[in-house]
Amino acid sequence: MFPIDIRPDKLAQEMFDYSRKLGQGMENLLNAEAIDTGVSPKQAVYSEDKLTLYRYDTPDGIEPQPVPLLIVYALVNRPYMTDIQEDRSTIKGLLATGQDVYLIDWGYPDQADRAITLDDYINGYIDRCVDHLCEAHGVDQVNLLGICQGGAFSLMYTALHPEKVRNLVTMVTPVDFQTPGNLLSAWVQNVDIDLAVDTMGNIPGELLNWTFLSLKPFSLTGQKYINMVDLLDDPDKVKNFLRMEKWIFDSPDQAGETFRQFIKDFYQRNGFINGGVVLGEREVNLKDVTCPVLNIFALQDHLVPPDASKALKGLTSSTDYTELAFPGGHIGIYVSGKAQKEVTPAIGKWLNER
Amino acid sequence: MSNTPFFNDNWLELQRQYWDTWTDMSRKAMGLDSAASAPTQPWEAAIDQWWKAVSPATPDLSRTFMDKLLEQGKNVFRLADTFAQRDDSAPVTNGFELWTQALETMQQRFSGSLDDNSTTMQRLMSFWELPLDNWQRMMSSMSPLPGDALRNMPHAPFKDSLDRALSAPGLGYTREEQTQYQELLRSAMNYQTALQEYTQFYSTLGTKSVERMGSYIQNVIDSGKTIDSARALYDNWVTCCEGVYAEEVATPEYAQIHGRLINAQMALKKRLSILVDENLGALNMPTRSEVRTLQDRLQETRRDNKALRQSLNSLERRVAALAGEEPTRTPPTALRTTTPVKAPARRRTTKPDA
Repeated sequence: MFPIDIRPDKLAQEMFDYSRKLGQGMENLLNAEAIDTGVSPKQAVYSEDKLTLYRYDTPDGIEPQPVPLLIVYALVNRPYMTDIQEDRSTIKGLLATGQDVYLIDWGYPDQADRAITLDDYINGYIDRCVDHLCEAHGVDQVNLLGICQGGAFSLMYTALHPEKVRNLVTMVTPVDFQTPGNLLSAWVQNVDIDLAVDTMGNIPGELLNWTFLSLKPFSLTGQKYINMVDLLDDPDKVKNFLRMEKWIFDSPDQAGETFRQFIKDFYQRNGFINGGVVLGEREVNLKDVTCPVLNIFALQDHLVPPDASKALKGLTSSTDYTELAFPGGHIGIYVSGKAQKEVTPAIGKWLNER
Repeated sequence: MSNTPFFNDNWLELQRQYWDTWTDMSRKAMGLDSAASAPTQPWEAAIDQWWKAVSPATPDLSRTFMDKLLEQGKNVFRLADTFAQRDDSAPVTNGFELWTQALETMQQRFSGSLDDNSTTMQRLMSFWELPLDNWQRMMSSMSPLPGDALRNMPHAPFKDSLDRALSAPGLGYTREEQTQYQELLRSAMNYQTALQEYTQFYSTLGTKSVERMGSYIQNVIDSGKTIDSARALYDNWVTCCEGVYAEEVATPEYAQIHGRLINAQMALKKRLSILVDENLGALNMPTRSEVRTLQDRLQETRRDNKALRQSLNSLERRVAALAGEEPTRTPPTALRTTTPVKAPARRRTTKPDA
């Protein structure tokens, strides 16, 4: 028996079907119009340099919790991932559980922001956002939800300002940056970060895009477009795909000095594990994190392997540590239908209980 | 299931007839002359022709997207075409020999240079060009030179003589300038070496992926199943390539190749920047180096300024509290702020349990 039985007539039919779907898809692409992202109503309540702090409108009929929830997103990519479309919105899910949701949008750093340091981000921008929320809400503490690199930022912030954080939620957050199977970490070990930052100033988003696509080049730059052809006859699916495509390639440049310290301290020196991370004049020690911690990770995460996140267990002094494993990937934890049903309600419930 | 070969003698003729008819119909529908030169790759030409006809009316975003779909579609059918093109001079006794021959042919093609101009090889290699193409696109976006500017430049025959020339000390009044250009050339050579090493790595992976595909097909045979569509063949090919890739890029060897590529590119770019700065200085214009010094000083000043404002405001609040007055100034964080739209719950939280 021959294993490959592609008959000419069937191959011709496949080609014909492909061209037919492309033809139909053209119509839907032409009608796709502008790609909208970020669906939940929000208001800018504070801004500083390129940072904007947004507050999301509480839905009618819901009494917001007294302690505001501040979402600290990564510097990589854009935060509208958390609110990407009507039926796929972490923000919307959190609002539904009664959280008073705020989100930091870091904006797009340019060369004028090259000298902004990790200390400026953590002890400057985040701290002033927290102070603003405390002032506006008349509270002493806020709840923090850090996403990916923003989770690492939130951990550092909580360690340095434990009195200002009531509860900490980390999502797909790297803690041990040198676990086996962490490709990003393996690749960056031999990169001369000082040379890269000294040369480029800021690190271009294109360089990060290339790195992320290089993790699975055939699936991410080839096969997914073939799979997309099957969806082309559905206008909504076309729009959803284009929306995700926009997010993937919407990659801000990284402020050079922050990138330098983050890569060297964490990816190359594994600072949460080995210590030695100094912000301002203080060393970050996760043992200074005493508040309740909810650590959420994705089991199929190819960017932040689950073990990288699970390493947090035992590193803090929290007596109330909870883990939530999500059966999905780094992005799916925000945009999949399963995540809407499982992850966001769980965060809301966990916060409301505390 | 069939014991007959997966293509028959009339395959190319059938394919040509099908696409000739399809192309002719398309051309007539568009009012174009059907007597133009006959395409050498009928199905590819038909797809290209259709796209040329409709693409001018397509918005940029959709056009870029459709380009990706078309290119990947071609990859699917090129792969099927590779398996579907039989060498009539080779005696075929059974199906097993046939696919073994097809795999051997693939391996032979992979074992050549990636930059061979052979059309048949490019059909296969175009797939393994994806990671390289990603690198070149990324580099092009960061450089005035095309991303592949140095990829094909032969250097081995001249390396020794160039090394000697570049090691010669500069002389006279322009000694420093000569040294700068020597360093630039040396950096260019180093980058070229690193890029070719990177390219060679993928060439090796191509061979391994064919072996993996062979194992997969053997499993198909053992299971008594067949691959009966171009799409299924493509998906399996992607799985094999992605599997091989994931294993190889996780090795310390690849991490070093990756590091050398990035470092060599950055070193070259840094050399170029130094020369540009030299010329800007000669024209009495601000240099990148000077701008960076200003950026550093400005950031230090802003950092101090923000800290002072916060301290000042804190002191004012203390004074107001001592005097029994409500502070009238805006909060310390209000560098630029707006009031939250909805009135927040003005309730102080209790201290955390921990």
